[in-house]
Amino acid sequence: MHQRLLPFAVAFVFAGCGGPTGDTPKGPTDLRKIAPGELRAPSDFAGIEDTRARSQALFLEASRVFTHPRCVNCHPNGDIPHQGMNMQLHDPPAVRGPESHGVVGMECTSCHQDKNQALTRVPGAPHWALAPLEMAWVGKSPREICEQMKDPKRNGGKSLAAIVEHNAHDALVGWGWHPGADREPVPGTQEQFGAIVAAWAESGAECPAEGARP
Amino acid sequence: MSQDAMRVTRRSFLVGLNLSLAGLAIGLPALADEPSGRAGPSPRAAAPEDGPGLRPNPFVHVAPDGTVTLVCHRSEMGQGVRSTIPVLFADELGADMKRVVIRQADGDKKYGDQNTDGSSSIRKFYDDLRYVAATARTMLVAAAAAKWKVKPETCEARGNVVVHVPTKRTLGFGELAEAAGNLPVPKRENVKLRPKSELGWANSTSLPLLDGPAYVTGQAVFGADLKLPDMLIAVIARPPVVGGKVARYDATRALQVPGVKRVVEMPAAARPYGFQPWGGIAVLAENTWAAMRGRAALDITWDLGDNAGYDSVAYRDTLLASVHAPGTTYRNLGDVDAAFAKAARIVEADYVVPHLAHLSMEPPAALARVTGGRCEVWSPTQHPQAARTQVAKTLGLGEDAVTVHVTLLGGGFGRKSKADFSAEAAFLAREAGVPVRVQWTREDDIHHDYYNTVNAQQIRAGLDAKGKVIAWQHRTAFPPISSTFSDADRPGITDLQQGVLDLALDVPNVRAEACPAKAHVRIGWYRSVYNIFHAFGIGSLIDEIAHARGADPREVWLDIIGPPRIMGLAALGIEKLANYGESLEKHPVDAGRLRRVVERVTASANWSERKKDGRGYGLAAHRSFVSYTAVVLAVVPDERNKVRVDEAWICMDAGLVVNQERAHAQMQGSVVMGISNAFFGGVTMKGGATQQSNFRDARIARIGEVPRKIHVDLVPSDGPPCGVGEPGVPPVGPALANAVFALTGKRIREIPLVRGLSG
Amino acid sequence: MSVRIRVNGVEKTLDVDPDMPLLWALRDVLGLTGTKYGCGEALCGACSVHLDGQVVRACVTPVRRADGHAVTTIEGLSPDGSHPLQRAWVELGVPQCGYCQAGQIMTAAALLKAKPKPSDDEIEQSMAGNLCRCGTYARICAAIRKASGMPEGER
Repeated sequence: MHQRLLPFAVAFVFAGCGGPTGDTPKGPTDLRKIAPGELRAPSDFAGIEDTRARSQALFLEASRVFTHPRCVNCHPNGDIPHQGMNMQLHDPPAVRGPESHGVVGMECTSCHQDKNQALTRVPGAPHWALAPLEMAWVGKSPREICEQMKDPKRNGGKSLAAIVEHNAHDALVGWGWHPGADREPVPGTQEQFGAIVAAWAESGAECPAEGARP
Repeated sequence: MSQDAMRVTRRSFLVGLNLSLAGLAIGLPALADEPSGRAGPSPRAAAPEDGPGLRPNPFVHVAPDGTVTLVCHRSEMGQGVRSTIPVLFADELGADMKRVVIRQADGDKKYGDQNTDGSSSIRKFYDDLRYVAATARTMLVAAAAAKWKVKPETCEARGNVVVHVPTKRTLGFGELAEAAGNLPVPKRENVKLRPKSELGWANSTSLPLLDGPAYVTGQAVFGADLKLPDMLIAVIARPPVVGGKVARYDATRALQVPGVKRVVEMPAAARPYGFQPWGGIAVLAENTWAAMRGRAALDITWDLGDNAGYDSVAYRDTLLASVHAPGTTYRNLGDVDAAFAKAARIVEADYVVPHLAHLSMEPPAALARVTGGRCEVWSPTQHPQAARTQVAKTLGLGEDAVTVHVTLLGGGFGRKSKADFSAEAAFLAREAGVPVRVQWTREDDIHHDYYNTVNAQQIRAGLDAKGKVIAWQHRTAFPPISSTFSDADRPGITDLQQGVLDLALDVPNVRAEACPAKAHVRIGWYRSVYNIFHAFGIGSLIDEIAHARGADPREVWLDIIGPPRIMGLAALGIEKLANYGESLEKHPVDAGRLRRVVERVTASANWSERKKDGRGYGLAAHRSFVSYTAVVLAVVPDERNKVRVDEAWICMDAGLVVNQERAHAQMQGSVVMGISNAFFGGVTMKGGATQQSNFRDARIARIGEVPRKIHVDLVPSDGPPCGVGEPGVPPVGPALANAVFALTGKRIREIPLVRGLSG
Repeated sequence: MSVRIRVNGVEKTLDVDPDMPLLWALRDVLGLTGTKYGCGEALCGACSVHLDGQVVRACVTPVRRADGHAVTTIEGLSPDGSHPLQRAWVELGVPQCGYCQAGQIMTAAALLKAKPKPSDDEIEQSMAGNLCRCGTYARICAAIRKASGMPEGER
């Protein structure tokens, strides 16, 4: 951990302990208190004058989505996707397969459709598939996810602009806010999330400190 | 059976019987592409019941064209009875299987007992069934002998002809059928059974699966596969708690769903629930999807009734408290209390097994038509006679006004012994004035099952200074199946026959007690029934005794079973033994047979070398349905479930086995179902309602969760046939728990084991 | 809405709710009852069919997804029940109750098309979505091996 980042990291770790609804201690920023299901707007971060710190804080806010089980479950660090808020191994026992689309007979789209279906719990969105192994998020910290996301070798060769666009508008990403059945959605809306990611990119796409958590 | 249904069934059956394994020619037109475009084959009238020819009894008919019709009066649910009884008939008769048509019997008392449960089809009726066919053979031979004016003893029936052996003259069964039909039916004492050497099945370990071709081409007809003109599909919203009622409902939105035609309130069920329909609101629609959507759109307020307080977590404590106090003693030998007082050590444990849901792959479904004061039902029922009785009761008709046709069953396991779903279809068909097929969803199946009961046991063993068991006390508490039909609130002596009273113990002081347990859900038969938990408790405790003694479990099993001997009532310390309806003379409690399966299965598994291969091995044995079965499982660590069964050995002594090939399949299936029961089994109730809803939370073993190798050993025997379908299951659970202990050191005394492993 | 599907090689036009699962379109509308309902949630595989050669669980596949595509069911796997898997299934006596077997065979057929000589692990991975309550799994594996020309192994 870099020494000079420590104050921010500590501050955000504290904030994380209480959760978004907990008492936020006075620190370099006083982020607006929100409910667990909400996402802050870029304007909530305007008070952080240091651009780098603001960018890091924006990513941490976005990582409330990135690290949510709804998103992480299909970014496994092995060959088996997860499911549920408890992140259990996927049942029926699906495996990654050569293209991250499953194996013959057990392809992701053998069951998952282009949208959630009525009278069944099977979730659906276009192009339902696992993230490639290099994009694994299970067990990763926000900083690691951030670095991975910026690395064209590990993000499918995407530019920063493409990453913003993907997060803001991709339909499979968007499923996280409309997971169907009785599933808990990720916080906020995809529009709010897209705005946060865009603000993060505009502010230099800084990655948070290693120990930092939202 | 009406004609269309029969046509399909017969065609499928004929295909099966004409099967040439080399050619496998199936020349079926695609049934579904019939010009009408109507879904599925539609039932028409049956093949003529009263054609000319030989019909000495309701089971056999020989037509003048030589076609031999053999009736299978037991339901096919995967045990292979339709590949067994007709073969038994045909061999005894001397029929050529290529000329045989198999007919599935409707529910009718003329066939005797049709309740396909209790592993009884061959066990109970083996001799009778052979005489059924031998009687027809005797008449055909007599007709030929009369024609030739020779002695019947000089004639033989084989290959669909009667041969006069000295002259090699032959007459076909068809040519003889009418003459034979005019002869008096001989008495049983004048009918001779064939010697075993003449029976094809007795010398085969590979009888063909006659319905195989129908299964693998999609032509086999199950409960939901028939369609009648103007038929509607019903999906029912049932009260979440048994005994609940509809307080109010609004069907406005349901009736707006395109395809929904009617909404009908079902009568509420009253205690005792028996086979009554469960009640609720039925949505009738043109297709299943519309009916399902219509049901989802119903607005119903339930009156949950007096079972709404049932909570299976709290009830677990109630059951444990029940077995921690003395119950009603049904087995008493020696002086148990005195023996415990002088025991050098006591090994004791509590075991808990939850309700199990049947989860047959085919959820219940039934089709009914009510016209002109008559009702006709097509149902995947294990018990067509009970279905007939309940349908008559529900409709207020005489039983003779009700016909119940039996389709193939997509699994039964005891669930489909119950008539509730057949009666639902009949009620709705009458209300709607058109044929109605009721379709249960998987959620319905899990929420409204007749569950295997829930059980707690306390078992104590007192050991002397050398480790010999000198005292045995077994207490068991479970709501009995009779609670579904009466106000029974504890198991009785008949219930304790399943593994408690018939346990061969070489122990001088034994006591078994039944403790109170009140039912709050519908309890029913489930493959192997109470044996599942009794085998689990007993088989686990014996392993615990072995561990306490630091001894090889195999030696302790043999030590506790004791030397080979027949154990009478006095030796068992009991007043009577229901013995699955069998006499103790024919089917005694035979400690030698229980020993032998333990010895054979451990030999197959190379038990004495088990510590060398790194896997955890578990052993258990059990007597049930008058058969004896022992199982060894080898388990290994697993990423998904912590433990996986890697290899299984199962040895069964079921007396004489008619269809060894299907018995082999039953043993493989028993291992798999036993693993599902023990590893994943258990549904729970909160507020009286079942909490699980589909295979995600009511799990059964998948292909990667069962052993790739299941070694089956059927003990060769000429003894009277015993049960086959169920006896394989009970020892699997304790063998698994014992194997888990051997691998992990973790003793899990409660099912599902997977919970104990992760806890 | 009208949906056009090539079912077992025959063009069909169905006038149905586009969200009706393919399973009910096959069973209730087209009368192809070989495809079975087991769970309605893609958990058991009894309804497995091929959509343009890919295994899909018909119980959760809206019929609109099949519009303009080809569907193969157990009735259309072979004209006369002579697919190597069907033959192996009968010869080895795989089915017990038979209810899940159409789905098992359809999944296995796709597997063999993609991997003519699958390993045991590949068989287990591809067949993982098909439940069998009777417990015919060991024979399913043996029949797949037999159909692929490999030794059956112990069944």
